[in-house]
Parts: sequence; C-alpha cells; structure tokens
Amino acid sequence: MNKIFVGLLFGLILGAIDGATAWFTPEVRPMITGIMVGSSVKGMVVGLLCGWFARKVQSTMLGVVVGAALGLLFAYLVAAMPSANGHHYYLEIMLPGFVVGAIVGFLTQRMGTPLGRTTEDMKRAG
Amino acid sequence: MDLSDPVLDRLRQVATIPDLGQTRYVLEKEIGRGAMGIVYAAHDRDLDRPVALKVLDSTFAAEAQLIARLEHPAVVPIYETGVLPDGRCFYAMKLIAGTRLDKYAAGPASLTERLRVLRRVAEVLAFAHRCEVIHRDLKPQNIMVGEFGQVYVMDWGIAAVQGTADFRAPEPSLDWRSDIYSLGVLMGFLLSESSSPALRAIVTKAISTDPAARYPDAAAFLKDIDHFEEGRAVEAWSEPLWYGLQRFGSRNAILLWLLAAYAGVKFLLFFLRTL
Amino acid sequence: MPWDTDTAIGGPDGRFPSTQLTLLQAATCGVPNEALDRVIALYWKPVYRFIRRKFGKDNEDAKDLTQSFFATALERELFVRFDPNKASFRTYLRMAVERFAANQHAASQRLKRGGDVAYEPIEEHASPDDSPERVFEREWQRELFGLALDDLHALCESSDKRLHFQIFEAYDLTGGERLSYAELAKNHAITETTVTNHLAWARRTLRVLVTERMRGVTSGDRELREEMRRVWI
Repeated sequence: MNKIFVGLLFGLILGAIDGATAWFTPEVRPMITGIMVGSSVKGMVVGLLCGWFARKVQSTMLGVVVGAALGLLFAYLVAAMPSANGHHYYLEIMLPGFVVGAIVGFLTQRMGTPLGRTTEDMKRAG
Repeated sequence: MDLSDPVLDRLRQVATIPDLGQTRYVLEKEIGRGAMGIVYAAHDRDLDRPVALKVLDSTFAAEAQLIARLEHPAVVPIYETGVLPDGRCFYAMKLIAGTRLDKYAAGPASLTERLRVLRRVAEVLAFAHRCEVIHRDLKPQNIMVGEFGQVYVMDWGIAAVQGTADFRAPEPSLDWRSDIYSLGVLMGFLLSESSSPALRAIVTKAISTDPAARYPDAAAFLKDIDHFEEGRAVEAWSEPLWYGLQRFGSRNAILLWLLAAYAGVKFLLFFLRTL
Repeated sequence: MPWDTDTAIGGPDGRFPSTQLTLLQAATCGVPNEALDRVIALYWKPVYRFIRRKFGKDNEDAKDLTQSFFATALERELFVRFDPNKASFRTYLRMAVERFAANQHAASQRLKRGGDVAYEPIEEHASPDDSPERVFEREWQRELFGLALDDLHALCESSDKRLHFQIFEAYDLTGGERLSYAELAKNHAITETTVTNHLAWARRTLRVLVTERMRGVTSGDRELREEMRRVWI
C-alpha cells in the first residue's frame, strides 16, 4: 500500500467522520449529507497531498506539521464559503480540520511505502 | 642439561617467536592469544602496511581456508597464508584498530549502540551459516568494534576447539544452533544493564538448553531484535495486556495525542455552543 | 617434517626416541617398555621433586619411592588405566604418583632401570611458596627442555653444526649478561647475519624437538596441542 493511497484512504475516512460530527450542531443537521461529502473530499485532497509529501520527506514531525497546515488551509477554504443559512463556521471547521490534517500527516509518514517499492526493498536499503 | 628458571623461561619464550625471515613480514609485537594460536602485529615490507599475523599449529591450517570463504564486512579479510620453517602455519590479515567487545561493553555505549553491534554479529552469523560455516567459539574476546563503529568477528573455529565454557552451548556436538546459544549469552553479556523484559525474553529463548527451543536461525533472532527496536511485539515473549498497551502507546504516542486533541477540540466547541 | 634438507633429525642412522607412535600406541602395541622409557626420561625428576615437596621426604626416601613407582608401573597397568578424555597424561601421572606414594611405606626394594638415571643430589629450583603441583609442572617443563636441548646438541654434533649450537648456547642458554650479536659475530669470526640465521635455526629446531619429545608422552594430537600450550610463553 503506497503512501498516497494511505493518505486518500484515511483522508476519506477521517474526513467523513469529521463531517458526521456536524450532527452535534443542530442548525446544520439538515445539510449533514453535503457536509459529510464535502468533508470527505477535503480529507481526500489533504490526504493526497500528505501522501505525496511523505514520499519525498521521511520525517514524522514534518509530516504532522505539513498535514496540519494543509488541513487548516483547506478547512479555511471550506469555511470561507457561506453555508445555506449564510453563516460562516470558521472555528467549527478550521479547528477540527487542523487536527484531522495533522492525523493524516502522521499516518502517511508511518504507514505505506513510497510508490513502486516494497517494504522489503526499504528494509534492505535500510 | 639442568636449566635455571630464567633460562627455562627464556627458552619457552624464544622458541615461540615465529621466524619470519623467509616472509615479507617484520615482527613487531604480540597482541593476543586465542585458543588456536598467537596473534602478532607485523609490518608488510612489500606493501608498507601494518598487518596482523596469526600463527597456528599446522592442524589448524584449515581455519585460514574457512575464513577465506567468508567475504563479509564483519569478517577480517585474509591477505596471505604460509608455513613457517618450524612447520607452523600463519596467515596475514588486516590489522584491526579498535576495542574488544568485553572492554566496549564496560564502556558508556547506549542500548541502541549495543543492539547495533549485536545485530552486526547476528548478521555475519546468518551469512556464515548460509555458507555452512559455524563459528563455535563466539565470545566477547573474539569480537572487535572498530574506531568507526565497524564490527569484526574473529577466530572462526573448527572442530578441534569446542568453545569457551561460559559461552558454549551445553550439547556435546556443536552446530549452527550452538552459535545461536552463544549469541544469546553474548547478548546477555552486552545488555547486562537492560531491564527490558522483551530483551530478557529474547536472551532466554536464544539460550534454551534444548536446541530445538532456540531461534531456528540467526535471521529469526535478528527479526525479534528488529521488532523490539520498532516497538513491536517480540516472538520470544507472550507479553501481558498492560505491556502490549503500554508498547502501543509508546509507539503511537503522537497519534494518541492528536486523537485526544481532536476529541478535546470537539468537546470544547460543543461546550462553547451550549453556553 | 620441516627440516633443512641437510639436517634430518637423527640422520639416516641417527637414533632418537621413537616419534612414530604416541604414548598409548606404544603402550598397547607391544612396546610398553619403550613407552615407559620415554615417560621415565621426562618424568623421573618431576616425580622425585613432587614427592619431596608433597610428602616432605628426604632425598633418599624420595628417590626410593620414585624408583618404586616406575619399576612397578607396568605391573600396576599405568598405561592401561589412562583415559585421555579425562585428563592429560601429565595430570594422570601426578595423581598416580600421589596415590602410590601415599600408600607406600618408607624403604622398599631398590630397582635400577637402565643404569642411566642420575642419583646425584639435584639442585633445588623451586621456591618455598610453590605448591607441589606447581613444582611438578615446572620440573616437567625443565626436564622437557633439558632433554630437547640434549637432542639439539646431539643433532648439531652429528651434522656439523657445532657453531650453531655454540652461538645458541652463548645467547639463549646463558642466565647472565648476554653478548650482543655484534660481539658474538666478532668472537666467532662470522657476520651478524650468520649469527641471526644460526640462532633462528637453533630456536626453531629446538621447538620441533620439544614437540617431538611431547608427542612421545601424549595420547594424541589433541593432548599434544593442549600440553604444548602450557609449555610456550
């Protein structure tokens, strides 16, 4: 499983979960489906970019930082779009997005292999 | 002829000194003694470089051939073999500048460094066993750590030497599993300060009295060392649940903190909304 | 054997304690007397000194006991009882002596073997602090080298290498101040290189002779190797 795939997979799963937690905000419940879809896509984009970064740079700390920054950025872009009720939910979107991005960044550093190499190749190159 | 003590001791000494007159080496000094011979520091006149010369009884000539079959970074390369005028064999090899492992172990080396040295020894054993060569006398005195951290395993034995008591496996005839036993004792010696139960379990498995209960080969031993260093479960130990959780926590501390941070953020937002 | 071609030990006619058979081979292949001769040649003095040190015997009593021990060795199946897997012959012999002397009463028959065993008072080398076992080992080394030196001397005499032995004697057998190579060269009207070569020849020949003496009183290669390790410094 290569790192980009790891990023896409966990970005999707965590993005969906993060989107689902919007259910605890009653006023946006009617839009939960759209929120989950959007959050999943956001997660996949962040995951893709984190996975690509992890292929280039092997550093857990840097992966977390870059993931957090990407998560924050894309969360901002989403939050900047007004919702159906015209409100912006900067805090509710950006803060969790920041942490989810950090998690995806961590996971892409720890898991998966750079594209085209197996785990054994990496160990041998050691 | 009745000899006085000083003369007797002198004769015992001079008759041991190898006569290198017909070789290209100049003797400098004795640097060590093994079970099968004496090692001297010498100088190669032709290539103008220092060498180590091991002088053996003729019956151990096979040792040189044995080592010559092993081309590995941890096996000291042999330059030349020959026979002295008195019938003893010698071989010239690279002179290692470094520290013997028993002295190294007494020093301040960290656990990571000690495991690295142990890994190198296990790797060369795995290589040698694949070449059907068994060491038979693995012990700290036969291992050197070079000035740049290189590890050399020396004194590869043949059937005549049955190992040194402390490090020798209990079975009467030695095979590759006896080397695994010695490797385990070596690990215990090297990591004597370690209190990790996983490492102690690895040692215990390697030094099982029953050869069949030990690691089947050096590669399996190495795998468990790798697992330990990666924070994963080792085959040698059925760890209790609490230890497994603790290990998981250490290995994934960052992830657990991030998940906690996420939960904290969500809770905070929920709390702020309800205010 | 790695001989210089002109100095085969003993030469074609030279006699030398048989080197073809190990001790046990000699003992069991119909030449037990020869095996015993070799053992006596090497061990008489060490046994004598051991008895004196261990049991506090005087010169005469120790000699009597030593003679009795060797005289009855074959009857007591000395060689037959030896198990090389348990200990070296040297250790086995020492323990056999200990048992024998402890069981013997003072004053037994005198039996001379061969007529060539020295009875003159023997210079005491051991220090008072040495244990009887240490004395035994030390005397064994001394006797071993003494016999090998006799062999070397005989070899040099028979092969026209008297000068080799003289150089060796002057340099390595002197307990006091040693002459330099230059002085030796000058005294014998030879070059320093020749001094070096003669010494090297004598030393390596001595080594081989010591090994051969040991081979004749050990059970095989393994014991020989272990015993040789105790001999060399």
